Amino acid sequence: MQNRPILLNSCARAATAAEARFRIDAPITPSRGARVVALDRRAESIVRRVAEQRWSSARFFVCESPGSSNGDMADVALLSTDGSASRLSTELIGADVAVMVATADDGAEAACAIGDACTLRGIMTAGVVISDGFGAEATVSALRPHARVLMVTRDEHDVAEVLSALRA
Amino acid sequence: MLRPELNELLTQTGPGMPMGELFRQYWIPALLAEELPEDDCAPVRVKILSERLIAFRDSQGRYGLIDEFCAHRGASLWFGRNEEGGLRCAYHGWKYDVTGQCVEVPSEPENSNFCANVKLTAYPLIKVGDILWTHMGDPASRPEPPEFEFVHVPSEQTYTSKRWQECNWLQALEGGIDSSHVTWLHSGALRSDPLFKGAKGNQYNIGDLKPFFEVAEADGGLFVGARRNAEDGKYYWRITPWIMPSFTMVPPRGDHPVHGHFWVPIDDENCWVYTFDYHPVRALTAAERQAMEDGFGVHSENIPGTYRPVRNKDNDYLMDREAQRQGKHFSGVEGIAIQDSSLQESMGPIVDRTKERLVPADSGIIKARQKLRKAALALRDHGVTPPGVDPAHHRVRSAAIVLPREDSFLESCRDAVTATPGVPQTTV
Ligand code: FES
Ligand SMILES: [Fe+2]
Repeated sequence: MQNRPILLNSCARAATAAEARFRIDAPITPSRGARVVALDRRAESIVRRVAEQRWSSARFFVCESPGSSNGDMADVALLSTDGSASRLSTELIGADVAVMVATADDGAEAACAIGDACTLRGIMTAGVVISDGFGAEATVSALRPHARVLMVTRDEHDVAEVLSALRA
Repeated sequence: MLRPELNELLTQTGPGMPMGELFRQYWIPALLAEELPEDDCAPVRVKILSERLIAFRDSQGRYGLIDEFCAHRGASLWFGRNEEGGLRCAYHGWKYDVTGQCVEVPSEPENSNFCANVKLTAYPLIKVGDILWTHMGDPASRPEPPEFEFVHVPSEQTYTSKRWQECNWLQALEGGIDSSHVTWLHSGALRSDPLFKGAKGNQYNIGDLKPFFEVAEADGGLFVGARRNAEDGKYYWRITPWIMPSFTMVPPRGDHPVHGHFWVPIDDENCWVYTFDYHPVRALTAAERQAMEDGFGVHSENIPGTYRPVRNKDNDYLMDREAQRQGKHFSGVEGIAIQDSSLQESMGPIVDRTKERLVPADSGIIKARQKLRKAALALRDHGVTPPGVDPAHHRVRSAAIVLPREDSFLESCRDAVTATPGVPQTTV
């Protein structure tokens, strides 16, 4: 009990609503550089809808040819939802999280390529698997090794939910 | 991050608020059975969901939970005399039964019918396990009593304590869903706490500080899985269920009893934390029960005669910088429960969620908030019964398990996360 603080605002008792107004009100750095990638066709339409909302710096893509294995998945060809073509390696510059959206397991190879590229660069990975309960298993296993955080949900709004929570 | 109006929606549980109405759909703990130990014992003040109530047990052993204040001139019935089948106000002697019905107004003539028209608001109070539960919503939609396993195993297999926490219920609950803090805040306890130490699983916890997370829907809420590397390329999974609105269980460790929490809003700036420990198939040992009473594990050492922890915000939780430096306690605060409450209370009475910087590892919290919001709005706008009201949703368990890499935690653990009487918990 020695060295107990004596001023109200110098001890834990200051955790009151009244003291809260003295908290520093600095603006919060707006964004995490989020890259959102649809791994399959149904995911693409979900991601396109999400992309229409207002985001601070998130960018949205579909894998140009999801599921097709042309032997070079190492640098996935991406198509931005605004129509421009680019490469995963370019898009990961300045990114701090890659969010993969999947509804089926045919994006497994792309997920692997994205996961590897992110691991190499120290970029966080997250996956949202949207499923109505059936057949999610294969999709989840396809993503599991490559997404540090995986959300399995029936609700496609969760994609936007996660992004806004991350201030994307 | 949450918009201010969403933060308010989720944190305000008084009468008429959407989240308050949501809570009123469920049976929730009102007090511990030990608080009303015998017939005609002292009444107890109870404040939950921002309503001030009085609980008592009458001469016939019936439990009552009624408006704290006398209908006459508003004196607190806490001063009342609990006698002859009712609670009599100490001021002018008006008497009420457990249904809140006034049964006597001494100033009125002998044959007066005056008291028949005087009734205080009352809620049912039922004993299930060591807890007295109440349902503060519409009697017409009152669900069947709770079926959580910890209140249904024989009494020698279970122990429940409670403590007052000085912050909003939601930031306290979020601590129960957020399993990523365990490796840090509670690291000391994994090695030393009598109700934690020695489990094989602890080594996986300590050995892999960057778990992967998986969040999946359950009928009553969510399952949050945290996976860490185990030997031979296998994964060690810890699975935390959350049942709406505020029940969570901590994944087990070895053969230690399994524990969990139930958070109940007192008002918007305080909550009760009910903390339980039970073993599905065996009695608690004397040593385990003693450790729980002494505040080890997830329990707390309380100021005698109260449910306020000895380590509280008035004394900086007896922070011990030397223990912090030596790594005995990661934060310098002793006891898992108080490690949690100290940080959750430090966020302020209602944390300003417009200021937070969430990361993907917070996905469980993100999803839980979304489910609460949706359920509260669906109830308000369309009268939809929320998840977790159906007692069948209560029959869940936490689990700890080592699985081959390709196995899904939910597919492989369906039995493990279902509470089945007589079947031991799945644990490592
Ligand atoms: S590290 Fe989580 S609140 Fe500070
Ligand atoms: Fe904790």
